Amino acid sequence: MSDIAVSLKDLTLAYGDTVAVPDLNLDIHRGELIALLGPSGCGKTTTMRAIAGLMTPTAGQILIDNTDVTRVPPNKREVGLVFQSYALFPHLSGFENVAFGLRVRKTPEAEITRRVEAGLQLVGMAHLADRKPAELSGGQQQRLSLARSLVMKPKVLLLDEPLSNLDARLRLEMRTELQRLQRQTGITMVFVTHDQSEALALSDRIVLMKDGRIEQIGSPESLYNQPQSVFAADFVGYENIFAVLPSTTATPDRCTIKNPHGQLQLDYPVAADHIAWRPTGVVIGSGGHHGTVAAVAFAGQQREYVIDTDAGVIKADIDASVTPVAVGDTIRFDLPLSSARLITAQP
Amino acid sequence: MSQTWASRVILSLTLLFLIGPFFIIIFAGLSAGSTLSFPPDGLSLKWYLAVFSVESFRQSFMLSMLLAVFGTLTALLLGVPAAYAICRYKIPGAETIKLIVAAPIIVPGIIVGLALLRYLVVPLNFTVTLALFLAHTALVLPYAVRVVTATLENLRTDIEEAAILLGCTRLQAFTKAVLPNIKSGILAAFILGFVTSFNQVPVSLFLSGPGVRTLPIDMLAYMEITYDPSVAALSALLAFLSIAIVFIAEKTLGFSRYV
Amino acid sequence: MAILLSEAFKVGGEWSLAGYADFISKPLNRTVFFRTLKLGALVVLVSAVVGYAAAFCIVNLEPAKRGRMFGLIILPLMISPVARTYAWIVILGRTGIVNNTLVGLGISDTPIRFLFTETAVFLGLLQLFMPLMIIALISSMENMPKDAIAAARVLGANWFQVFTRVILPLTREGLVLGGTLVFTGALTAYITPAILGGSKVLMLETLLYQRVNVSNDYVSAGIIATILIVMSFGANVVLRRLAKA
Repeated sequence: MSDIAVSLKDLTLAYGDTVAVPDLNLDIHRGELIALLGPSGCGKTTTMRAIAGLMTPTAGQILIDNTDVTRVPPNKREVGLVFQSYALFPHLSGFENVAFGLRVRKTPEAEITRRVEAGLQLVGMAHLADRKPAELSGGQQQRLSLARSLVMKPKVLLLDEPLSNLDARLRLEMRTELQRLQRQTGITMVFVTHDQSEALALSDRIVLMKDGRIEQIGSPESLYNQPQSVFAADFVGYENIFAVLPSTTATPDRCTIKNPHGQLQLDYPVAADHIAWRPTGVVIGSGGHHGTVAAVAFAGQQREYVIDTDAGVIKADIDASVTPVAVGDTIRFDLPLSSARLITAQP
Repeated sequence: MSQTWASRVILSLTLLFLIGPFFIIIFAGLSAGSTLSFPPDGLSLKWYLAVFSVESFRQSFMLSMLLAVFGTLTALLLGVPAAYAICRYKIPGAETIKLIVAAPIIVPGIIVGLALLRYLVVPLNFTVTLALFLAHTALVLPYAVRVVTATLENLRTDIEEAAILLGCTRLQAFTKAVLPNIKSGILAAFILGFVTSFNQVPVSLFLSGPGVRTLPIDMLAYMEITYDPSVAALSALLAFLSIAIVFIAEKTLGFSRYV
Repeated sequence: MAILLSEAFKVGGEWSLAGYADFISKPLNRTVFFRTLKLGALVVLVSAVVGYAAAFCIVNLEPAKRGRMFGLIILPLMISPVARTYAWIVILGRTGIVNNTLVGLGISDTPIRFLFTETAVFLGLLQLFMPLMIIALISSMENMPKDAIAAARVLGANWFQVFTRVILPLTREGLVLGGTLVFTGALTAYITPAILGGSKVLMLETLLYQRVNVSNDYVSAGIIATILIVMSFGANVVLRRLAKA
C-alpha cells in the first residue's frame, strides 16, 4: 500500500456559480497530522466537506486509500468528522453518542460495549459516559465528539476548527491531547483552522490556502521562516512588508522600498520583489531611519512599538528591559538585511 | 413601592377580566334552578350530571374528539415533513409558506367552511364527516407546520451530517438524529392542534348537518332552544379539560414557549 | 373558494359589479360593515393599552412568577370560545351578576339590557383576543435590550418619554403583530357576535351566516366573504408595512 491516505486531484468545488475551490491538487500522507490553514473564505472548510462527502465536486477526483470515492455517499466513505460545534446528539447519553455509528452498522452488542468503552477511555471520558451532552463542558463535548468519530476507525479524521470553541487554557490542553491521540491511534488527521499559531503548534504539515488555491505547503518551520509569498509572510507574522523598487544604475549599492503609504531608502541592495520584517526583526534606537512613536504597549517580555514613518506605520518589538521611549518622541530605527525575509514571486 | 403596587393592581384586573368569567360559569352550572342566573338559585350538581345524559352532546363530543385526534394526526403527518423540507432544503417559496403559516389566518374559517360545503359536499357528494375531517386537517396544518418549524430551527443542522458520516442514510439521520430531538415540539403541535380543532366553530358551522355536529356547534344550537344551565356546566367541564391538558403539557413540555 | 368569491360578481349569470352596488345601497349592510370595522379597531386599541400595562408588569416579574403569569394569560386561549363567550351571558344577562347587583342595590328598578348590545360584543371580543396582544407584547419586550429603560431614565427621560421614545419604538413589531392578530380575530369571530350580539348587533360574519342560512343569498354571501378577506388581508399588509416603516 502506498503511503497516500487522501489524494485530491484537480478538485473543483462550487456553490452554484460561485467557485470556492478551483482545481486543487493535494496528497495527504498516511498517519499525518495536516492543517488546512487560511482566512475565512479561503476554501479550507469547503475542501474538508468535500473530503467528507458532504459536498459534491464540480470536477476532479477524491481518492481515499487509492480508491476513487468521488461518487461514494458520505455514509459509506468511512471518514470521521469532528464538527466545530461538536454536533453531539442532544437526546443521547455520552455512551450512546459514541455507540451511534456502531449501532447504525449493526455491530454486535458485546463489541459495541467493548469499543465504546475503549473509545471513552482513550479520550478520558469513561467516567462521564452517562451524561447528556448538555451536562458536559465544551472540552468534554469535544472529547466525546472525538471518541464518537474514533470508534468508527475512520480512514481519515477531519477536524473543523477543533480548538476555536475552547477557552485559552483548554485550548492548550486539547492541543496536546490531539497530538497524543494521533500518535496513539496513528490515524490520518486533517484539521481546518484560521489560527496560524494553532496550525504551527499542532501539525506535521501545513497547507496554507488563499482564495481556494494552495499558497504554500510545508512544515511549520518552513512556513514560519520561509514564507514564499507576501500573503504567507503576512499570515505568519511578518507585519512590515514592502515592495522593492528596481535599483538604478546610479545607486547600485542601495535601494528603495515602498508600501501604499510611502517609501524608505535602504543602504544595501535587495534582489527580490518584496522584503519583510517581523516586529522582532526591527531594530530601534539606532539606524538611518527615523519616525515618531505613536504607541507603546507593554507585553511582558517585550514592548510593542508602533512607529509613524514616511512609509506609514512600522511595528517593532523590543526587549522590555530596554528603557521605553515616550509616545510622541522621535526615534531612530533600522531595518537590517540580516533579519529580513526576501520574497520573490514564483514564476 | 408604589410601582409594584400599580403593576399588581393592573395584572390582577387583567387576569380577573380574562379568567374571572370561568369561575362564574362554574358556579352558574352549579345552579339548582332551571334557568341561568347568577348568583345561582341554590347549589346542586344536577346540571353537571345532566350534561352526560344529553344524547346529542354525547354524539357531538365523540365527533369532535375524533375530528380533533385524526385531523391533527393527519395534519402532523403532512406538516412534519413539510416543516422539515422548509427548514432544510432550499425550496422555492419556502419564505412565502413560512409567512402564510406565521400570519393570522387570513381567510376566515366561515368562508372556508362555506366553500367546502358549496363546492365539495354538495356537488361531489362528499359526506359531511369527510368534509369536516378535511376542514379540520386544513385548519390545524398551519399550526403544525409553524410549531414544528420553530422547533427545527432551534436544532443544529450539523447533527444530521454527523449522523450521515457515522453511516446513516438520509432517512435514518432523520429518524435517529432529528426526530427524537423534535419530539416535544411535535407533541406541543399536537396539543395545540387538538385544542384548536376541538374548539373551533366557524369552519364547521355550515358543514355540520343534522346528526353530524361538532360539540361547540351543538352547544350553540342547544343554547338557541333552551336557556338552562347545562351549557354552563358543559362549558365548565370543557374548560377543566383544556386546563388539565394545558397544565400537564406545560409541566412536561414547557408548552407555553410553543404557542 | 375562488368560485364562491366570483359569485359575488355575477348577477343572473352575467359578470357584473351590480351585486356590489346593490349590496352597498342597503343601509343595514353599511351599518354592519362599519360596526365590524369600529369594533375591530376598538378592541385593538383597548387591548393595546391594557396589553402594554399587563405585559410590562409580567416582563418585570421574577422568572418563576413570569412563567406562571404567562401560563395564565395563555390559558384562556386554550378554552372553547363558546365557553368563554357563554360566561358573558351569565354576567350580562337579565338575571346575571351585573343586573342582580344593580337591582339588589336599588340602583336600577328593572334589569337593564346588556346582552345584544355593541358593548356586550365588544367585551366578549376583548376578552377573547386580548391574550394574543399581551403575548405578542411580552415576547417583543423580552427582546428589548435589558438596560434600555434604565439608560433612558439615567439620561433624564420621564416615564412618559421612556414609553414613547424607548418602549414603543422597540416593541413596535410586537404591537403590530398583536394588532394584526386581534383585528383579524375580531373580524372573523363568529361565536361572540352570534351569542352576544344576536340578530340585533350583526357583524359581517353573522350577517354572512344569515344570508346563507336564512335567505339563501349567495351573492351577498360572496360579497361579504370578499370584504372579509380583503379586510383581513389588507390589515395584514398595512400593519406589516407599518412595522417596517
